[in-house]
Amino acid sequence: MMKYIFNFPDIGEGLEEGTILEWYVKAGQPIKAGQALVNMETDKVVTDIPSPKTGIIVATFGQVGETIRVGSPLVEIEVEGVASEKATITTTEPPKTEAIEEGAAVVGTMELAGNNAALPASDEGSAKSASEDTFAPKALATPLARAMAREFKIDINKVTGTGPSGRVTKEDIQHFQPTNHLEEIIEKRSEVNAQPTDDLTTYEPLTQIRKAIAKNMLNSKQNTAHMTLFEEVEISDLIEIRQKFKQKLADKNIKLTYLPFIVKATVSALKQYAQLNAQMDLENNRMVYKNRYNIAIAIDTPEGLVVPVIKDADKLSIMQIAQKIAQLSDKARDRKLSLDDLKDGTFTITNFGSIGGIFATPVINYPQAGILGIGRIVKKPIVKGDQIQIGNILPLSLSVDHRIVDGGDASRFINRIMDYLSDPVFMLME
Amino acid sequence: MSMMTIVQAINNALDIKLAEDKTIVVYGEDTGKEGGVFRVTEGLQKKYGVERVFDSPLAESAIVGAGLGMALSGLRPIVELQFDGFTYPAFNQIISNVSRMHNRSRGKYKVPMVIRFPYGGGINALEHHSESPEALYAHIPGIKVVIPSTPHDAKGLLIAAIESNDPVIFMEPKRIYRAIKQEVAEEKYSIPLGKAKVLTEGKDVTVVAFGAMIRECQKAMAMATDAGISVELIDLRTIYPIDKETIATSIKKTGRLVIVAEAPESFGIGGELIAIANEEAFLYLEAPPKRVMGFDTIVPMAKGEPFYMITPERIFYEIERTVNF
Amino acid sequence: MIFNDYNPQEDKILRIIDNEGKIINKELLPDLDDETVIQAYKSMLYARTADEMAVSFQRQGRMYTYPPSMGHEAIHIAGGMIIRNDDWLVPAFRELGFMLAKEVTMKEIFLYYMGYEQGSNFSKANHVLPICIPIASQLLHANGIGFSINYQKKDEVVFGFVGDGGTSEGDFSEALNFAGVWNVPVIFTIQNNQYAISVPVKSQTKSVNLAVKAIAFGIPGIKVDGNDFFAMYVAYKTAFEYARAGKGAVLIEALTYRKSAHTTSDDPTKYRTKEEESEWHKTDPLHRMKKYMENKGIWNENGEVLIEKYKLEIDNQFTEAENFTPYKLDDVFDYMYEDKPDVLKKQKEDYELFQSWKENRK
Repeated sequence: MMKYIFNFPDIGEGLEEGTILEWYVKAGQPIKAGQALVNMETDKVVTDIPSPKTGIIVATFGQVGETIRVGSPLVEIEVEGVASEKATITTTEPPKTEAIEEGAAVVGTMELAGNNAALPASDEGSAKSASEDTFAPKALATPLARAMAREFKIDINKVTGTGPSGRVTKEDIQHFQPTNHLEEIIEKRSEVNAQPTDDLTTYEPLTQIRKAIAKNMLNSKQNTAHMTLFEEVEISDLIEIRQKFKQKLADKNIKLTYLPFIVKATVSALKQYAQLNAQMDLENNRMVYKNRYNIAIAIDTPEGLVVPVIKDADKLSIMQIAQKIAQLSDKARDRKLSLDDLKDGTFTITNFGSIGGIFATPVINYPQAGILGIGRIVKKPIVKGDQIQIGNILPLSLSVDHRIVDGGDASRFINRIMDYLSDPVFMLME
Repeated sequence: MSMMTIVQAINNALDIKLAEDKTIVVYGEDTGKEGGVFRVTEGLQKKYGVERVFDSPLAESAIVGAGLGMALSGLRPIVELQFDGFTYPAFNQIISNVSRMHNRSRGKYKVPMVIRFPYGGGINALEHHSESPEALYAHIPGIKVVIPSTPHDAKGLLIAAIESNDPVIFMEPKRIYRAIKQEVAEEKYSIPLGKAKVLTEGKDVTVVAFGAMIRECQKAMAMATDAGISVELIDLRTIYPIDKETIATSIKKTGRLVIVAEAPESFGIGGELIAIANEEAFLYLEAPPKRVMGFDTIVPMAKGEPFYMITPERIFYEIERTVNF
Repeated sequence: MIFNDYNPQEDKILRIIDNEGKIINKELLPDLDDETVIQAYKSMLYARTADEMAVSFQRQGRMYTYPPSMGHEAIHIAGGMIIRNDDWLVPAFRELGFMLAKEVTMKEIFLYYMGYEQGSNFSKANHVLPICIPIASQLLHANGIGFSINYQKKDEVVFGFVGDGGTSEGDFSEALNFAGVWNVPVIFTIQNNQYAISVPVKSQTKSVNLAVKAIAFGIPGIKVDGNDFFAMYVAYKTAFEYARAGKGAVLIEALTYRKSAHTTSDDPTKYRTKEEESEWHKTDPLHRMKKYMENKGIWNENGEVLIEKYKLEIDNQFTEAENFTPYKLDDVFDYMYEDKPDVLKKQKEDYELFQSWKENRK
């Protein structure tokens, strides 16, 4: 004899409880499997609950009129000759059987919404306020490049992309050095360990920036065909104009050097000689012409050379260029240049004249097509007509990548610049 | 506004349209007198008469084929097929004629019909009552496939489907027919077909789902939030044509995609969405897109169904793996 | 030949005993000895009891949706007495008694409706197809089997089943047409129980009855009182001999009533009246058989006791089903193909990884 407790089953209306209307049995009464035990009222239906077992009713739980919860005991039956485990088999998870009406389905057990199953009303069509979060711009990259970045433990979002649309290519990752970001350079310097010195030699570990410079220089020299043109341009007219506006701009706190004029002249020339504002993409067998004129200016800092970029220089006036140069110089000095300041340059100007050089063979800022070196202005005798006069000569050194730029184009390009610099009003005209 | 289940919302949509447009007829097996085995058409025969809301003989091919004939000749039929697993006798009519008539006649004949049926598993049903055939139908050029996930959407999308002059397959997630209630406007409104909806904004991973799986995804999202993962959940709503723009924009933001659907994984909607991710947002992907779908098996009977049906835990598991890729 | 005498075009119906078990067609009364008749009744009673218990188990929440065959017992037991071990049963889903006659066990039936496909892997029953839910599709299978029988020159007959609703499906017409053309040994039984869920048979067709449809396909058809055991027996016997003699297929319309709901999830009060149900209950097959036996004075057993005995047996079968080996993950995958393709293996492995992740979380 085993005692079997039959719990109030969920007969499938998503019920949680039922009310006892009438007991058909009482304690001591024999009962057969399938025979009705009790009449229950639920939300929608009044129904009989049949007994699962044959035996004798030991006890009933709940009075007429009482509400009991699904899963709580309904009757206890003494079942004959049933193994103990079987007797305690209750429906461990009674499936919700479909109710006659509420859960109509013809097959299957339907879930019915409980009281807390209400969704909020739809906000379809209502204007959503713009998301508060600003999402940090992410790098574009192929899965291959990403895998590589991961392998080298590089955060790909910090890598400058030189591929189409600023995509980070495999090469970008290979060439990536965190020194592109000035802050990182400074941090890493503090990690540098000094080596012991002796009489003959002094050792100093390479700084990140030095390593970077070394790598860049070598890379540029190895991957391009450097060719340098040397020219001299007479800029007395330019000097006069600068003199004229120098004070006016100084009042506005803008320092006017010759560089803004040179930038302007260069940009105008670049527009006419697209080869100089381009890159060669050997991997994909094509030339990449840049439609923006982002002039990089080489700036000498105690830590080394940095090359911030004046973006869209063609859209800026000379005054604005002057301001930008001042801004970038300040940032460079204060080590506050950002990644953005340093990327996307299309042509570079390097002014070593302020330090004292005249001519040089500047190294191209790879993968650009050219770099214009500006020397020191010197007074020299010039011939005007048949007269000898004192001229103010600005030396120019133009290095180009001879793979991209032919000699003729290089000459024409620099001649154009010289046209502008020797006769600044011409710049206005074009 | 009133509280409606999906069944009630669909009933309401049918009611509104039957009142408004006399060319609409509604029929299927047990649709008339009994009001449908799920009671979706309950009360409509009484209200609109047996000429407009009626029972048809037991023949799915004829139900759809006759519907096509009606659509071509001035009526706007809304036919019901009783269960997903019983739509297949009508497959021939759908693929051979319903989807082609407009093209075949170069637009002279349009097919303004809606074929509705309950789909999906999770109700311990017998064989053929738990299928998710959206890919089979979406792969047929010439028809649209729409799947709502809430009462509000069910009403709006169905009205749009009825008012469309293209044939629309309207699949109703039976598992949640009555499992959720929502405040739904009682007047007529429609939701445009072909537009997905961003249900929740997030930044770490895009989860795309539809129908009954939306609810499971939302439960998974709660788990994800606890784990510090921000999920953007998109309800596709229309399977064909798919809203590539919404999906692409999201992937470009999050860089990760997880697709959740009941149907067997191979050759299903998961593959389609991954192709879209590829085409529209390749360079933004930070992890391989993942489809969380059914096995390439028949939906098991009740005792095996728990293995097959996708649970919130499984969705969370895949979200976590994708984010940690 | 009864097919000629009971021309369905004239809406003739083959009936041998009336509602009170009185013989109204003495010539056709089959020559069965008393023991056989008593056994037939007992089998019908067993089937009825099993159905009632199944409904009860469902209501108790121990089994899922179930389609009772109550009212169809005479059809099943009559056919069950004719069908041999190698003959084929191609069921729809409302042929409980016939399946039992073919030695499908109640345990197997219960397993199926509890949600185990294993219930269709019959241990003893020979040549019985699993339950077929897509309406009428099984009739085409019956044809194919009939073709095999002819091709392999076997001595077998096929018993295929469909409901009144199923006669509207295209497959029904295709099946009958093929059967005619191929001359297959197939006995098609339409269990016309008056309803296809809520749709009455008069909404299903304009034909005078369902048996008449056979004529269109060139095979004999006969309308029989499906609640009359003897009529069904005679119809089956005749059809069986006809098919076995190589004369081809036969269509039997067994007129009966679906005493229960379509399934345990259906509410017949939505579409039929208590009055109608009462009228049809008067034609109940068990009642008529019992009356016949009582009239003949051959029924000496205690029905109540018998029912109790059956209940115990059936309960034991149910308990066995309840204690069946739990469903495993393998069961989802193992039966799709003969050899599991790699893609399935991988899906299973991936799921197992998920399972161990789930375990480790706890």
